[in-house]
Amino acid sequence: MFTRKTATAPDIDQKAKEAYFTASQGQLIFARFKSNRTAMIAAWALILMILMGLFAPFLSPYDPTIAGRNDQYENGAPQMPKMWDENGFSWRPFIYATERERSMATNFRWVVKENRDKRLYMQFFVRDWDYAIFGVDFTAFGKQVDLALIRSNLHLFGIEGGKIHLFGTDASGKDIFSRTLHAIWTSLAVGTLGVVISFVLALIIGGVAGYFGGWIDSVLQMITDAIRTVPSIPLFMALAAFMPDTWSSETRFFFISIILGLIGWPTLARRIRTHLLTERTQEYVLAAELCGASSSHIIRRHLLPSFTSYIIVDLMISFPYMVRSETALSFIGLGLKDPVNSLGAMMQNVSKADVLLNYQWYFIPVFFFIALVLAFVFVGDGLRDAADPYSDNKK
Amino acid sequence: MIRFALTRAFLALVTLLTVSLIVFTLMELVPGTCAERYLAFKNTSGSQISLADIEAEKVRLGLDKPFLTRWGGWVYNVFVHGEFGDSCILRLNINQLLADKFWISLGICMAALILSYAIAVPIGILSASSSNAFANNSLRFVSYLGLALPNFLLALIIMLFSTVFFGDSLTGLFSKEYRDAAWSWAKFGDFLSRAWLPVFILGWSATAFALQTVRALMLDEIGKLYVTAASARGVSGGRLLWRYPAKHSLGPVINSLGFDLNRIFNELPIVALILTLTEAGALLFESLARSNDQQLAGAIIFLLTASIVGLNFVTDILLALIDPRVRRGLMG
Repeated sequence: MFTRKTATAPDIDQKAKEAYFTASQGQLIFARFKSNRTAMIAAWALILMILMGLFAPFLSPYDPTIAGRNDQYENGAPQMPKMWDENGFSWRPFIYATERERSMATNFRWVVKENRDKRLYMQFFVRDWDYAIFGVDFTAFGKQVDLALIRSNLHLFGIEGGKIHLFGTDASGKDIFSRTLHAIWTSLAVGTLGVVISFVLALIIGGVAGYFGGWIDSVLQMITDAIRTVPSIPLFMALAAFMPDTWSSETRFFFISIILGLIGWPTLARRIRTHLLTERTQEYVLAAELCGASSSHIIRRHLLPSFTSYIIVDLMISFPYMVRSETALSFIGLGLKDPVNSLGAMMQNVSKADVLLNYQWYFIPVFFFIALVLAFVFVGDGLRDAADPYSDNKK
Repeated sequence: MIRFALTRAFLALVTLLTVSLIVFTLMELVPGTCAERYLAFKNTSGSQISLADIEAEKVRLGLDKPFLTRWGGWVYNVFVHGEFGDSCILRLNINQLLADKFWISLGICMAALILSYAIAVPIGILSASSSNAFANNSLRFVSYLGLALPNFLLALIIMLFSTVFFGDSLTGLFSKEYRDAAWSWAKFGDFLSRAWLPVFILGWSATAFALQTVRALMLDEIGKLYVTAASARGVSGGRLLWRYPAKHSLGPVINSLGFDLNRIFNELPIVALILTLTEAGALLFESLARSNDQQLAGAIIFLLTASIVGLNFVTDILLALIDPRVRRGLMG
């Protein structure tokens, strides 16, 4: 005889408990992360910015290089699309046409005036310059290789019979909105490459030191400490002195990422080593050893899973520092330079008194940088809390 | 205890030697040699020079000797005589050139370090233990903003504001009347009235890292059983936090103070450049990026690393005095 079971409160509780006890480490971390509101907001902001960077060519109406410049609108103020003004309402957002003039009256300087009677209407999904997302092109074995995930010339918006600059333009008439979006991607890419390089180094050096311990550990620790003691600014400078001016922006970009990676590893290596040293003496490792498991099996199946969450957290935490180093390097003129769209290179322009006083829209990329760093830090903190096995029995 | 101190002192010395080798190698990587720069200077003052002159100058400066010999000589001079030689470009004795400037830089960095932990420790402990989400998040937000705001921008904005509202741009380290005066209390006061700005900027940007460290360590400790046990025995509030988890979690923080000093010093040249501070950070940037003055740059980097190693040594000893586990070598 079967009696239909109705789900009662204790049953649901039971199910929740069951789900909790059978959940994998990753699921537990994710569940804890989701309950942290601050971290979730930061995570969404971060995802939004990464997507903006990834689809930068689609979202930006103009080519961020000199090819896409608007020579009729240099140092131009941001233009906000409107749907309504004193001449009536329009379903399609519009901006005003601008005219540039230079005469005795303007002291022979170009002055841009907007003509409020002439409206330029916004268009969506326009076809303009070509782009590739996730594209690489290089020459290998004498052949031109040109790969890309998406190739298109479709753009989200544009304007009929003119150009629209949501964030204004810079001194050479390049669209700051387009540049900012591309810059986010460049800075993220430099950061990622730097983090990956330093992570691989840290994993090897920290792993060897932590697993073998003893004199190997001592020697490696001494080297690590010595490298941590040397200030990185002169290291950067000495390495950047190698960088010839003739290098293309792509080569410089890779070189900068490699330098960032080569300098960033010691902190991470130390953490991995400390973690391995404590884990290595745990009972479960001893048990595995007694069962006859090999070193490599223990490292792969027992030790690595025990601290992947820590590694992810560490990577997340070191990311904003990488991005920040890139901007600092660019600022002192050793990193990426102006034609390249990186947040650091764009912030370099802000530091001129002329800009501070007259062209405040140059500051817009700075807000993106601040948002990016803050999002990373808060997500990092949230992940750290979520990965902490004790966090449940705390409150 | 004495044995521990001696071992640590020996290790510090070894680290210092390793570092001096790294620094010396780095300086070798800078394009050109000191001899060429001496003669380039002569060339600008009118006299003709030839390749033979450069060779002769190299021999005079001992640059023809093998790398390790030169490193040995440099180290010997530095360690035994405390002498860094002459600057390649300015042709002055480096010790005279640096004297005050290095101490000023070190002072600024140390002050920034103290400031950053003065903010980070209480907020970190609060953030790990309190359940007031709003206060917690806003305090963290303000601290992390120091990391997110690029320091050159912060310096520029503060300068602009003070120029507009106070008519003084706050740049430089001294007012005009004290610039060439000898050190006195009045000059020191004047120095303090200006040095707070770089200290504030550097300290704020270093706070984020300090806070992350303190918070993470504190969270690790606070969930442990001995804390629960203590609270079960009736210890509570600030007393519980300070006596137990805070004491343990601050150990590793103190241990890495030296590296924090390094991190702060890295930011100094940029801030110094904007605020036109006449101190060693700006001098280092100048000698590395503009004039390629190997001798001077090497001396500054070495002095800095020596202070970091020194600070690490002092904190090691301090920790060992407080914590017997460190003395017996049980902890990292």
